[in-house]
Amino acid sequence: MFRFFIRRVALTLPTFVALMFVTFVAVRLVPGDPIEARTGERGIAPERLAMLRHELGLDRPVWQQFLDYANGIVHGDFGVSIVTKTPVLHEFATLFPATLELTLCGLIFAVVLGIPAGVIAAVKRGSFFDHSVMTVALTGYSMPIFWWGLLLIMFMSEYLGLTPVSGRMDLINYYFEPVTGFMLIDSLLSDQEGAFGSAVAHLILPSIVLGTIPLAVIARMTRSSMLEVLGEDYVRTARAKGLSPLRVVGLHALRNALIPVVTVIGLQTGTLLAGAVLTETIFAWPGVGKWLIESIARRDYPALQGGIMLISGIVILVNLIVDLTYVAINPRIRHG
Amino acid sequence: MVDPTATESGTLLPASGGDGHLLVETVPPAPSSLRAFWSAFSENRGAVLGLMVVAFIAFLALFAPFVAPHSPIEQFRQFVQQPPVWAGGTWQFPFGTDAVGRDILSRLIYGARISLGIGMSVMIVSVALGIVLGLASAFLRGAVEVVVMRVMDLVVAIPSLVLAILVVAVLGPSLVNTIVAVTVVYLPRYVRLVRAAAIAELSKEYVVAARVAGVGKLRLMFVTVLPNCLAPLIVQAALGISDAILEAAALGFLGLGAQPPIPEWGAMLADSREFIRAAPWIVTLPGLAILVTVVAINLMGDGLRDALDPKLRRS
Repeated sequence: MFRFFIRRVALTLPTFVALMFVTFVAVRLVPGDPIEARTGERGIAPERLAMLRHELGLDRPVWQQFLDYANGIVHGDFGVSIVTKTPVLHEFATLFPATLELTLCGLIFAVVLGIPAGVIAAVKRGSFFDHSVMTVALTGYSMPIFWWGLLLIMFMSEYLGLTPVSGRMDLINYYFEPVTGFMLIDSLLSDQEGAFGSAVAHLILPSIVLGTIPLAVIARMTRSSMLEVLGEDYVRTARAKGLSPLRVVGLHALRNALIPVVTVIGLQTGTLLAGAVLTETIFAWPGVGKWLIESIARRDYPALQGGIMLISGIVILVNLIVDLTYVAINPRIRHG
Repeated sequence: MVDPTATESGTLLPASGGDGHLLVETVPPAPSSLRAFWSAFSENRGAVLGLMVVAFIAFLALFAPFVAPHSPIEQFRQFVQQPPVWAGGTWQFPFGTDAVGRDILSRLIYGARISLGIGMSVMIVSVALGIVLGLASAFLRGAVEVVVMRVMDLVVAIPSLVLAILVVAVLGPSLVNTIVAVTVVYLPRYVRLVRAAAIAELSKEYVVAARVAGVGKLRLMFVTVLPNCLAPLIVQAALGISDAILEAAALGFLGLGAQPPIPEWGAMLADSREFIRAAPWIVTLPGLAILVTVVAINLMGDGLRDALDPKLRRS
C-alpha cells in the first residue's frame, strides 16, 4: 500500500518537470519580445534595452534561464506580471477563490442533480423518465457552454429579469473587504443585509453553465454503473430477503455503484477548470480563467506561463489525490 | 473488415491474405461484414437520425456556394440587423442579418464547411499520428514507449482548453493553428487507444504465427495487427470529430480561433453579447448550429460504438 503511494507520487514528478519545460519553451517561442511589449512601439535606447534584458535575465544562456525558472517555481516564485508588476502567484492566489467557489458550486449542481437522475433512470430503465434523462444528458454533453451561458443570460436575466448578468456581487449597494475570498462566506461575515442573497443570485447562472457538462457525464455514469450493480447477485439476495426497494437501491446498490462515479467526479476537475475559462469570460467573473484569457490579450507572458503552470499543477494534484483515494477505498485495484 | 464476427467466419482472409480462394469454397457465405454492420447500426434509431442530420450538414457544407443565398462576407449595409422571417423579416434574409448586414443563413452554411473541416482535419491527423505513435510504442516498447506515453500523460494533465490556448498563444490565432491546437489536445486518446489495443493483440496466436512465418515488422504492425484494432479507433474517431468541433468553436468564441470575417460558428458568437437584447437571433442561431451538429455526430458515434464494439455497449 505504502509502496504504491510512493510510486504513484513519484510518477507525477516527471510530469511536473515536463510541465515546467513546456511552459518555459512555449513562452519563449511566442512571437514578440517581452521588452518590446513593455516599452511599446516607440523603441528605447540600446543601453536601456541591454539593462532591461539583464534585469530580466534574458542575456543569460537559455539553459540557465530554465534552471532559474524551475528553481523559482520550486520556491514559489512564478515570475512577475509585466502589466501589473505584482508577483504572478499573488495575483493567482487573489483570483483563485473566485474560480474555486464557482467550480465547487458547479460541481455541487452537477452532483445533486446528476446522481439522483442517473439512479432513477437506471431503476426505471426504459421508462419515459429514463429516455428523457438520457436525451438531456446527450444534449448537455454536446453543449457549447459559452452559447448556453449567453442563452441563459438572454432568458433569465434580460427577459425575465431574475438574475444579474455578470460579476460576483452587487457592488453598488454592498461593499466589504474580502476575508476568505469566497463571496458566499464573506457576504455572511459582512453582516450586510441582502449581501448574501446577491452573492447567491450572481452564482446561479455561472454554476449551471459550468456544471452542465459534468452533470451529463455524472448522470450517464451513474445510470450505467447502477444498471450493472442492480444485476449483481447480492442485490438479488437483498431483494429476495424482502428488503424494501428503497433500501435495496439506496443502501446496497448505490454504495457500490458510486465508486466509479466518484472517480469520474474527481476527474472532472480538468473539465471544470477548462470550462471556468469560458464561463468566467461570459459572466465577467473575476477568476483565474478570465485572467488567463486577458493576459493573452495583454501579452503578459509571465502571467500566462505561471497561470498555466498553476492551473495544470492543481489538476495533476487533484487527479493524484483522486487516484490515491480510489485505491484506498477499493483495494481490488491496488496492484495495477 | 472491422466487424469482429467477420474475422471468425473467415471473410477477412481474402482481403488480408490474397490466397483465400481455397477457403471461400469451404466456408458458407456469411453476410458481408458491411451488411452485418448496417443491420446492427440501423437498429439504433437515434444513430440513423444522427447520420441523416450529419449527411444533411455535410451536403450543405460541400455545396455551400450553390445552396447559400448570399456570400457569407458580403455586407448589406442598408439591411443591418434584419430579423429572421419568423420574427417579421423578409425572405431575402431568411435567418436575418448580423450587425454589419451579413446574411446569417449564408454564414451558417459556410460555417458548416469550417466546422466540419476542422473536425475532419483534426480527426484525420490525430488518427494518423495516433496509429503511428501507438503502434510504435506497442511494438518497440522500451525508450520509445516511455517517452511517447509520458508526453501523452503531460498533455492529458493540462486542461484541454488551457492547452489549446497555450498552443494558440505561441502560434498565433488562425484557422490552421486552431486545427494544430485541437489536434495536440486530442492526440493522447488515439495514441493510448491504439497502443492498448495493439498490445492486447500482440499476445494472440495469429500474431505469433505471422511472426514465425517471418512477416516483417512494418507489415506485422500495419497489415496484420492494425486492422484488428480498428473498431474502437473508428468509434473514437467519430466521437472525436464532435469534440474537436466544440473545442474549435470555444477557441473561436474566445477570439483565439478563426479570425473575422471567416464565418466560423464560435467566432460568430464572439461579440454577439451586445445584441442579446436588440437582435437575439444573432446569439441564438450559430450556437444552435453547433449544438445540432455535435448532438448528431455524438448520436452517430454512439450507434457506431454499439454496432462495431459490442464490448463497449452501454448496458
